[in-house]
Amino acid sequence: MLALVTDAYGGRGGIAQYNRDFFGALAEVGLSSITVLPRQAPDSPVMHETVEQLPARAGRIAYSVAAVRTAFFQTVDVVFCGHLFMAPLAALIARLKSAKLIIQAHGIEAWPQPSGIQRIATERADLVLCVSRHTRAAVLSWSAIAPDRVLVVPNTVREVFTPCDGATKRAALAVEGKRILLTVGRMDSRERYKGHDRVIAAIPDLVAKGHDICYVVVGEGDDRTRLEALARDAGLSDRVRFLGAQGLPSLIETYRAADLFVMPSTGEGFGVSFLEAMASGTPALGLDIAGAKDALADGELGTVASEAELSAAISRILNQPKPDAVDLSTAAHGRFGRKQFAKNALNVLNRLTETA
Amino acid sequence: MTSEDGRFVVVFNGEIYNYPQLRTELETDGAHFRTTSDTEALLHLYARHGGEMVHRIRGMFAFAIWDQVQRRLFLARDPYGIKPLYTANDGWTFRCASQVKALLAGGQISSDPEPAGVVGFHLFGSVPEPFTLYRDIRSLPAGHTQWVDAAGAREPKPFSSLAEVLAKGAANSISAAEIPERVRDGVLDSVRAHLLADVDVGIFLSAGVDSGALLGCMRDAGYRQIRAITLAFEEFRGTSEDEAPLAAQVCERYGARHVVRHLSQQEFVQDLPAILEAMDQPSIDGVNTWFVSKAAKEAGLKVVISGLGGDELLGGYPSFVDVPRWRRRFGGLASVPGLGRFARTLIGRVAPAFSHARPKALGLLEHSGTWAGAYLLRRGMFLPHELPEVMDPEIAREGMRRLRPLRCLGASLKPDPGSDVARVCVLESVHYMRNQLLRDADWAGMAHSLEIRVPLVDFTLLGALASSIPAITKGAGKAALAAAPTTPLPNEVVTRAKSGFAVPTGAWIKSVVGDTSSSIGQKPESKGIVSRRWSQAVLNGAGLAKRPLEVHAS
Repeated sequence: MLALVTDAYGGRGGIAQYNRDFFGALAEVGLSSITVLPRQAPDSPVMHETVEQLPARAGRIAYSVAAVRTAFFQTVDVVFCGHLFMAPLAALIARLKSAKLIIQAHGIEAWPQPSGIQRIATERADLVLCVSRHTRAAVLSWSAIAPDRVLVVPNTVREVFTPCDGATKRAALAVEGKRILLTVGRMDSRERYKGHDRVIAAIPDLVAKGHDICYVVVGEGDDRTRLEALARDAGLSDRVRFLGAQGLPSLIETYRAADLFVMPSTGEGFGVSFLEAMASGTPALGLDIAGAKDALADGELGTVASEAELSAAISRILNQPKPDAVDLSTAAHGRFGRKQFAKNALNVLNRLTETA
Repeated sequence: MTSEDGRFVVVFNGEIYNYPQLRTELETDGAHFRTTSDTEALLHLYARHGGEMVHRIRGMFAFAIWDQVQRRLFLARDPYGIKPLYTANDGWTFRCASQVKALLAGGQISSDPEPAGVVGFHLFGSVPEPFTLYRDIRSLPAGHTQWVDAAGAREPKPFSSLAEVLAKGAANSISAAEIPERVRDGVLDSVRAHLLADVDVGIFLSAGVDSGALLGCMRDAGYRQIRAITLAFEEFRGTSEDEAPLAAQVCERYGARHVVRHLSQQEFVQDLPAILEAMDQPSIDGVNTWFVSKAAKEAGLKVVISGLGGDELLGGYPSFVDVPRWRRRFGGLASVPGLGRFARTLIGRVAPAFSHARPKALGLLEHSGTWAGAYLLRRGMFLPHELPEVMDPEIAREGMRRLRPLRCLGASLKPDPGSDVARVCVLESVHYMRNQLLRDADWAGMAHSLEIRVPLVDFTLLGALASSIPAITKGAGKAALAAAPTTPLPNEVVTRAKSGFAVPTGAWIKSVVGDTSSSIGQKPESKGIVSRRWSQAVLNGAGLAKRPLEVHAS
């Protein structure tokens, strides 16, 4: 398989993580060789055995040339396209090599109607994988592809996310006795859909209801300054803590320390941080919009609320006893964990051979 | 119903006509029947033959079988598409039902419009499969099966094709002289199969050849005490347009009990809201079927025979003459790339009045180069280039892109059915009849708890007549059908049928929806009622049109 991706091994975002998870799962279920060609790889990569990652090519032309050249010298049965943006290139290579074409759709990149050539390339795909039902519906709204070729393969949660006592982290943050709300996500001034603003706006009401709130924000981005100012202007500086980006061990501890993970986002392709929170034993709350519903399993794992009832929903959850952390974690891993993801990957492989 | 061991569960809509033979076969093979229902036969067949079972069934069917052990679902729909089957898959959950409405009623499926369905309705007057008016709901195409398991829903796969049957027939076609005998044997066999029932089977009787001949064949099959239902119109009482007297003559000849149901404009107006409500997917037709079904219900019938499909099978429509003629006359010119479109644009500029009044004449040069195009020209309510005028241009463009009507019509002719008659037979059967007539019969019948059986829409019969169809000339098919009963139909029926009967429903509709414009895309053979306002009213009934249209009794 030749995988054309923005980033995978040595990459930082959620898409890179998904790609690593997916290739790992494919390798696990028996795909013999995977060659990954990334646009970028800022960190040093750690690979699975049967996965080879070529040096990153940032430039569009250099990338395309590298992709075609790689394909030319290799046996390629499957072309995996990790981003809609590269679909035309992937479709071209798949055609040249008479290979199967998989196109991966994540979130907002796949929601609006793409360029004509990307649309045609998508319609050529043997399978389009979408991380959520919402993304799938969006792809079907702009492409004339047969619906049965568009599958939902949800994001997965890594096994390192487990429940444990969060007292140490609480002490380190000096938030003992407070009710901790947590959001983990990039703060991007162009997107601004994660919903930090909505949580900040809900704090006064929650405090009035008697909740001694501390809102912990994890993540970086160019919108952070604005959000800090927003909290300050609302007189909530002491209640909103921006921790910046966190390493994995610290991130896991922060999840465990929180009373409620809340991310009233309107633009999640899936929202893997909901899963990470629940796998760490912390209940999660999101809006009934886009992919978040999938991560929260329509309310079966987490809580789904409308925007209007956000504050009331937070208050209600804080008033309830915290659910059993081990049960919640087991349920989250059971539904979206590695085993299930490997099954999904196997299903994808089987579907490709079926259409042969 | 669940199999004895609990492994298989079936949901079934339809009727298996070769149930007695199947049961004998299955019992010989060791199957143990707990009921007398044909549904149980499906379970035994599936347990023995898996998906291949579909080749053994004669009938109208849509069913789903769940295998508890293998955790997978099998869906199938009959070759002609007599019974509907709709599916919705959101990527997590797969749902299926025999009505679009049932799927929507669950509340979990988006009602976002499907542009291809909306465009299809404007082109053809009904929604062409596999599309529906809703993006997330599809029809399992006729003659297809589908598998669903943890790895998702597979693409539906065809198990039968009308074109293929006719192509085989064309390869060893017979002489015209042999047609009557083939028709007689085939139709009598089909009627016999369709009489399998534990309640009385009645018949919809018009003064036409199709239903009359079927009545005669019912008689030949040994069926007695037949109740025949004829719809008549108050307006025509005592005029030459009244079908009732001729139908009465047919009844008398075959010893059937005649029930004539008179319909008035008042009743029509009264029922109109219920009709729009009962339509599962919008359709510009079906009103007559509604009332004749209502009459059958009043007469206490649960099952009736209908002559639906005779025109498609035996070359009864004008399209059997027009489509091949247009292909011959204009096909050469039309195959010059761009010429048709150029001519249309030019005439549209210099003679806009003509182009508005005769859109189809303009379309001749553009579309008659292919069978699909010529058929679209014959059947279309609107032509593709007119769509932006009658609907949102963006939806029209997107819908055309998704529907690809010409490609879709063309695909139904693969493999080539081998003769002009067979090509039109396929086009009429898999498009107009499947998407319009059979859907109408289904919702209008079901709304009156009535099962409408169509012996002339039978895959076994098609197979029996496949080698005859190429030799059918104008009128010969119907003549053969009229002569099929041992006692042939009265001559008056055969002669009168050629000139056709009028129905006042078109005028009634105009008075109700307030349409003053002339009808567009007249379709005399369908006794259809086609106008922009009516199609708009129908779409409103389906809840998708932008402005609600008041249906007022005036």
